[in-house]
Amino acid sequence: MSAEPKYQISRKGLSVWRVYGSIQTLIILLVAIGAGVLTWLFEWYWWIYIVCAVVPIVFGFLFIYLFPKIRWDHWRYEVREQEIEVQYGLFIVVRTLVPMVRVQHVDTAQGPILKRYGLAEITISTAATTHTIPALIMAEADDLRARISELARVAEDDV
Amino acid sequence: MSDEKFRLHPISAIINCVKGLKDLLIPFFIIFVGKGFKFNFDPHDEGFFWDSLPILIAGVLLVLNFVSGVVKWRRFVYWFEDDELRIEYGLFVKKKRYIPFERIQSLNYQEGILHRPLQLVKVSVETAASKDKKAEAELTAITRTAADMIELEMKRAKRGKQQVKQGLAQNELLHEIDHDNKSEIDGDSASVSSQQEFRIQEDEIVQREVIHRMSVKDLLILATTSGGVGVVFSGLVAIASQFGDIIPYDYLYDEIRVFVKVGVLLVMLAVFLVLFVAWGVSFVLTLFNYYSFIVERENDKLIITRGLLEKRRVTIPLNRIQGIKIVENPLRQMFGYATVTVESAGGSMQNGEKKIILMPLVKKRDAIAALQRLFPEINWLPTLTRSPKRARPSYYKIGLLWILPVTAVVSYLFFPYGLLSLLIIPLLILLGVWQHKTAGYALDGYQLTVVYRTISRTSFFMEKKRLQQMTMRQTYFKKRIGIASLRTTIMSGSMGASATIAHFEKTDIEKLMAWYEPNAKSAYDVEKSISEP
Repeated sequence: MSAEPKYQISRKGLSVWRVYGSIQTLIILLVAIGAGVLTWLFEWYWWIYIVCAVVPIVFGFLFIYLFPKIRWDHWRYEVREQEIEVQYGLFIVVRTLVPMVRVQHVDTAQGPILKRYGLAEITISTAATTHTIPALIMAEADDLRARISELARVAEDDV
Repeated sequence: MSDEKFRLHPISAIINCVKGLKDLLIPFFIIFVGKGFKFNFDPHDEGFFWDSLPILIAGVLLVLNFVSGVVKWRRFVYWFEDDELRIEYGLFVKKKRYIPFERIQSLNYQEGILHRPLQLVKVSVETAASKDKKAEAELTAITRTAADMIELEMKRAKRGKQQVKQGLAQNELLHEIDHDNKSEIDGDSASVSSQQEFRIQEDEIVQREVIHRMSVKDLLILATTSGGVGVVFSGLVAIASQFGDIIPYDYLYDEIRVFVKVGVLLVMLAVFLVLFVAWGVSFVLTLFNYYSFIVERENDKLIITRGLLEKRRVTIPLNRIQGIKIVENPLRQMFGYATVTVESAGGSMQNGEKKIILMPLVKKRDAIAALQRLFPEINWLPTLTRSPKRARPSYYKIGLLWILPVTAVVSYLFFPYGLLSLLIIPLLILLGVWQHKTAGYALDGYQLTVVYRTISRTSFFMEKKRLQQMTMRQTYFKKRIGIASLRTTIMSGSMGASATIAHFEKTDIEKLMAWYEPNAKSAYDVEKSISEP
């Protein structure tokens, strides 16, 4: 087994994940504020205020700062002639090998946030599984999609 | 090719109706229960109209159901044309479906209670595309001869294709030969083609070999242990009722004493009865379902027939088989019994059935003998590489992490008896140790064998060319002790089936990844080429 895959995903991917994290934190914050208001209205226990304050802060720290950073650091991919290799994970680092022969089709997709950052994600499907590379520069994603579908067509079974 | 169009047997109209009735059952139930079963048969009564409305609706629905059943049957025709099975059906919208014979993976037969007396079969046509748990086409009821005709037509079509190919190849050959000796060649080619015909006819004599036939004894054992949980529970209840005397009735008030005693006894009896009945039902169902279970091999297809009242016949092309599992649950493992299942690509599964059972219950060595005959190229008794000893805690650590807070909470909330939940902890550890002891994998050429246990011991046999992906997993803590896990997926049904090699030496896992790399001259290949010059 050779060294880990060569390429990292776009640096902008990190920003996108931070945006996702911010949205999630915002929702948590709204819930926390709601709980705080209710506590004030109905005079529940005082420690609920502390929980309402601490949870969004911790959540924000983890999901806006720490987790995206770790995930981005771990993300690697490489498309070789015979196989695709990806590596990712937060606490559990996962490394997946998909032979080109097994690739059935490749898609690129782009949500509103990815679009703002000029990114796209690429999804590789085999007969049984799908694998996603989450944040690539759009042109790069299109190139990669074309390349994978080309390689998948010419790849030959070795068994 | 005849352009005659065929109809299903008229009984399909009734079968359609029965099927429709099943769907109507719940609405009917709601209508009648909603009315509280109040019926009014007096037409002079004021409420007559409203009271009889549900009956009216039900009646109309019934008639509609019957009519639609009949019309569906009338409208359904199938015929053979251009090497295709063509079907036309539809109540309001006419639908046509053309299925090329060469795309047909298998024809599965099923005989229900209505089919049996009239010698009819329900035929499900399956293609590789029939993924969403439904067959490509279903012929509700046709005679056996009609079913045979479809099969014959299919074979003829497939053979026709071959013949055309062969013919083309021959022509090319002929053109290469000098034109001067044309007459001679003509004679030759005639003899060649006659030879071919002869060979084709030989092909037609299908060889049927029985791979596995379930013995009555095995069937009875399967049926007896089928309601596994039920048996265990009723046994437990029987034992528990013996301890009824220990309950301190004397401390209870005399008045309720009798009541409680009778109550406890009654509840126990009731529970026992319910479990016993449940077991009995599952016993009978299993008996009916797996009666005369036979697996046969016909050329490159497997044919599984089973059933007493409802006969089912499933065909699996051998090249669609992606992997084979031998499952031994602990109870059956003790007596050397195992279940063999097949992971097959595509194909519709019978409702709820996730995989195809090849041998429901069989002595493991018999199973291996049968499998060896079926797939001689596979090593059915590979030497396993085991998980290292230092990986053992990994098998129960995660489980403990989940269960510890739960037991703590339970112990706190239900103080004295809640402590009993602590018993789960040693059980969990024991299970983990057991799983660690069972786990193993083996590489043999292009074959990967994975053995693991959740509770049942499962041996998963796969070929490299069937593996869709391979994933190596390593947590931060495992990285430090050099332990990693691996997961690989094969195609099975509409979804994949995965096998996990959990907590092994990292070097072993890396070797597996290297083995999986296409065309890579992996360490494994090198090893092999050294050992086999």
